[in-house]
Amino acid sequence: MAKQLGFYFDATACIGCRACQVACKDKNDLVVGQTWRQVVEVSGGSWTAQENGTWATTAFAYYVSLGCQHCEKPSCVEVCPTGAMTKRADGIVVVNAEQCIGCRYCEWACPYGSPQFNEAKGVMTKCNFCEDYVAQGKKPACVDACVMRALDIGELADLRVKYGSVAQIDPLPAANLTRPSIVLTPHAKSSTHGDVKKLALDKGGMK
Amino acid sequence: MNVREWALITFTILAQMSVGSFIVLGIVHYFVGKKAGEQQADELSDRALLAIGPVLALGMAASLLHLGNPLNAYKAVTNLGTSWLSREIFFGVLFAVAGAAFAVMQWKKIATFQVRNVIAMVAAGIGIALVYSMSMVYMMPTRPGWNLITTPVSFFATTLLLGVLAMGAAFVANYWYVQSKNPGCASEQCVLLRDSLRWIAISSIVLLGFQFVVLPLSIALMAASGATESAAMFVGEYGALFALRLVLVFLGAGVLGIFVYREAQSAGHERMMSVLAYGAFAFVLVGEIVGRFLFYATATHFGLQ
Repeated sequence: MAKQLGFYFDATACIGCRACQVACKDKNDLVVGQTWRQVVEVSGGSWTAQENGTWATTAFAYYVSLGCQHCEKPSCVEVCPTGAMTKRADGIVVVNAEQCIGCRYCEWACPYGSPQFNEAKGVMTKCNFCEDYVAQGKKPACVDACVMRALDIGELADLRVKYGSVAQIDPLPAANLTRPSIVLTPHAKSSTHGDVKKLALDKGGMK
Repeated sequence: MNVREWALITFTILAQMSVGSFIVLGIVHYFVGKKAGEQQADELSDRALLAIGPVLALGMAASLLHLGNPLNAYKAVTNLGTSWLSREIFFGVLFAVAGAAFAVMQWKKIATFQVRNVIAMVAAGIGIALVYSMSMVYMMPTRPGWNLITTPVSFFATTLLLGVLAMGAAFVANYWYVQSKNPGCASEQCVLLRDSLRWIAISSIVLLGFQFVVLPLSIALMAASGATESAAMFVGEYGALFALRLVLVFLGAGVLGIFVYREAQSAGHERMMSVLAYGAFAFVLVGEIVGRFLFYATATHFGLQ
């Protein structure tokens, strides 16, 4: 099997502090409007009146922290007209700003919101798995910043042996679309309707 | 809507109009040539042919405004293997080259009629490939409001409708130009103009009928697939603009089309017929621009953003 690096995320451990998001922004010097790692709060459920006058609730909330999924079938790479978006031998999907024309087609094609446009430079940017850190044997900034140890990286095959093969919980789209290189431990309340609109999403207003 | 999105509206409308015009012009030239001889056909259509180039060039220039980094634009044809956007640009450039080659040969009467005919057919084929690639750019699972069969179908409908009416207007403009140069000798051209415009009026009414099937169908398909939000925008937020688009195309291609046909039936009404033909083109052009605006404005994204 070809080498494929991937992220692991534990939705039962994440407390939604967004330290990963901030660490990513800091490490990669991201401008306002760009969040290569995003933490999405998913909430749902309701309250129902009981016969005895009390109320029962099914309310829940959990978080999902997402960088680029470095998909096995990346739609951004497929649609990029210049070949600026490429998948490396180790599975990391990177964008070469020198080649990019800033057409934003990858942004349309990605179901995870990973490629992000830099207005000032006129080109696309995205999570590069902290390739420089990984080359030095270190872990990406987001992983090291996580106070709950909810994030990790590894060979996708190893991650699947260790944590299972869940790659789709709400609010993520169906995994068969792009085959994301992610392994998730789902939250007890997380479902996979694939219909994100039924859930309230909140990115915490962080840009 | 910002400059980048208006760039796409301008590019797609103008490129489709030039492909449609090229095809319509070829068909008219063929039939007029059979009826009245090649020289008369050339007289009717050569100037209109020369008008297509600038329209395409303007559209392609506008497409550059969509890019964040236009200096790299030439690299956009390097992923023909998987990217429809690459293919779109490739066929766009190829259509421009083939169309320009034909226009120069036709204008200067280089090579024989048959050779020119073959080049025109090739250019028209490339034009069809261009409109097809253009529509396939929008066929993505992450854009459910676009990822429907009605996207390519309506792009071709726009191509033909704008092509037909743009050429109607171009023939009229050409007629008055010829008249102003040489008022006496244009009687044969006058007959041909009326003949052509009658067929243009009939075609535009048929295409209008087709549009009026495709447009509701596209919204029904949106509602039935994962694009209920897009469908809702057509009747809610953008209801008034959508109605305006329908009314403009109906008035231009339908109502004015009928009057163009009536005025083109007998000699002596050329002036009225010309005004109507210009009006029909203008109404449909604006209607189609509004339609393309709505195409982009109602797109929703599937997945996270």
